[in-house]
Amino acid sequence: METSRKLSESFLNKVVNAAGALIIYLDPDGRIIYCNKKAASLASRDEADLAGEHWTKILFSHKNTQMKQQMFKAVLDDAVSYGRTNAFEGLISGPENKEHLISWCLTPISAKEGGLDGVLLVGNDITELKEKETSLKNIDTTLKNIMSSIREYALFAINLEGKITYFGMGSEYLFGWSKNEIIFKDILLLFPEGDPGLAQMLDEVRGKGKYEIETELRKKDGSLFPVDLTVNQLKDTAGRLIGYILIAKDITEIKKMEYHVFQTEKMAAIGQLAAGMAHEINNPLFVISGKIELLKDEKSFGEDIRRDLNVMGAQTDRIRNLVDRLLKFARKSIPRLETVGINEIIESVLPLVLYHKLPDSNVIMDKHLSQNLPPVKGDLNQLQEVFVNLFINAYQAMPQGGRLFVSTSATEGKFVQVVISDTGRGIPAESLKNIFMPFYSTKKDGTGLGLSICYNIIKNHGGIIDIESQPDKGTTFIVKLPFA
Amino acid sequence: MANKILVVDDEPSVREMFSDLLKKEDCAVTVLSNAEEALQLLEKECFDAVLMDIKLPGMSGMEALKKIKDNNPSLPVIMITGFGYDEGLIAKCKEYSCNGYIGKNMPISQIISSFKMFLKTAKEKR
Repeated sequence: METSRKLSESFLNKVVNAAGALIIYLDPDGRIIYCNKKAASLASRDEADLAGEHWTKILFSHKNTQMKQQMFKAVLDDAVSYGRTNAFEGLISGPENKEHLISWCLTPISAKEGGLDGVLLVGNDITELKEKETSLKNIDTTLKNIMSSIREYALFAINLEGKITYFGMGSEYLFGWSKNEIIFKDILLLFPEGDPGLAQMLDEVRGKGKYEIETELRKKDGSLFPVDLTVNQLKDTAGRLIGYILIAKDITEIKKMEYHVFQTEKMAAIGQLAAGMAHEINNPLFVISGKIELLKDEKSFGEDIRRDLNVMGAQTDRIRNLVDRLLKFARKSIPRLETVGINEIIESVLPLVLYHKLPDSNVIMDKHLSQNLPPVKGDLNQLQEVFVNLFINAYQAMPQGGRLFVSTSATEGKFVQVVISDTGRGIPAESLKNIFMPFYSTKKDGTGLGLSICYNIIKNHGGIIDIESQPDKGTTFIVKLPFA
Repeated sequence: MANKILVVDDEPSVREMFSDLLKKEDCAVTVLSNAEEALQLLEKECFDAVLMDIKLPGMSGMEALKKIKDNNPSLPVIMITGFGYDEGLIAKCKEYSCNGYIGKNMPISQIISSFKMFLKTAKEKR
């Protein structure tokens, strides 16, 4: 009996010392009855020495010892008083003062005769585990920081129901929605109204895994903007499809540039065509007008014929005017550059413009000309023509009256910028694309050449002319000309 | 005394029209369709003025203007064109000492008055 008890004691000793865990057995007063090697070594003590010591001698490390001990005491008391199994985490100072984080499990053990025999503490060293966890958390935070710092791309995710589950800062920036506003809302909020493209897109992604498209998305304010959109599957760790990741790159600026290049090439082609046509029209026009003039001298003609000849003369004049404007548009007239002040040009054309405005129109002029505006190199007459055109357009857009705003300023990249806006009826988006095209007019009696001529003049000055418009809100023209 | 005018234009109806209009102004008009023939005729015959289209098949009107002015600087040459009032073309014509520039897109009355004015100025200069 004694042998078998000894055997089992040495066997148990082997077992508890071989185990990776820290094992301590306390009596109800908190004195150490037993402590395995692992626990003793972490406390830098010999296990035999520790018998009879109070647990406070080894638990916990110097940092916040008192507080930790108080907390542990509460947990221990709870185990002692109520026989409850409890858990506790705390640092202990190991060899070379290296701190170890131990996760303890406190199990009260009943005495044979009833009452409490002691409390078994089993501790696991979770130092490395915690470190890994922390570094994973750091990686996670870094990733989140990276994701939220990217502004050029809108990154967002949806679940299979199409509800937004992630909305990065780039998305907030591009769409104007805050994360809190949009999260768990329907993705359709970000697509043009009534756009059937999304369902088809997601079908494709399910089949092919990825889908890329150039499309338009919708901002919070309802405006649409062009994007390169990539949609990928979002899978969980088991590989099940749980949603989609969408990456949108704002390509507004690229589109603008493409449009300008396209516009320039198209204008050049139309210019050539116009010049050729005008030349071919001028010859027969000259002959017809000449014949009309000669016939007017014919004494034998009665009133009827004379009236007809006058009508023919007036109609050839109309053709002549049109051809003149065509040639003006087509002509690459090289601007005669001199140093001119944009403010002065604007001031000089305003009286001309007021002459054109409808007598009963109620337009308020709101003028903000920057003082000390650098001069530009420009052809005075041509630039005057541009601004007369833009001002008259603005007035004509506001037959019921409104506000005509004009401002000048110096911008980055050494440009003088002129902004002319009206509060008129505005131009629908589909018309905006063609607004600088010759013969394109939104006005009933417009020839459609005014803005195309403006476009050419500004282009020949090395400048840029742009338009922004919203129906029923108004139109804004932005002209930029390089410093002299 | 009637002014003797040589009109050079490759389009028959345009030549005729100029001829009709100038005859009404008491001019004696000869018409030709190309610059080469015009240069040959000018060697043999005297004219008070030449009306020359800029765009001609073969030798261009501009080249012909240069040659005429090289041979006979005092002969008034007035250039006509379907390209309208083109600053670049006008500058080129002036460089070759032309005496005037008429766009076929101008109203007839203006074409005639311009022609008369150019001719008068050229004669005064002479």
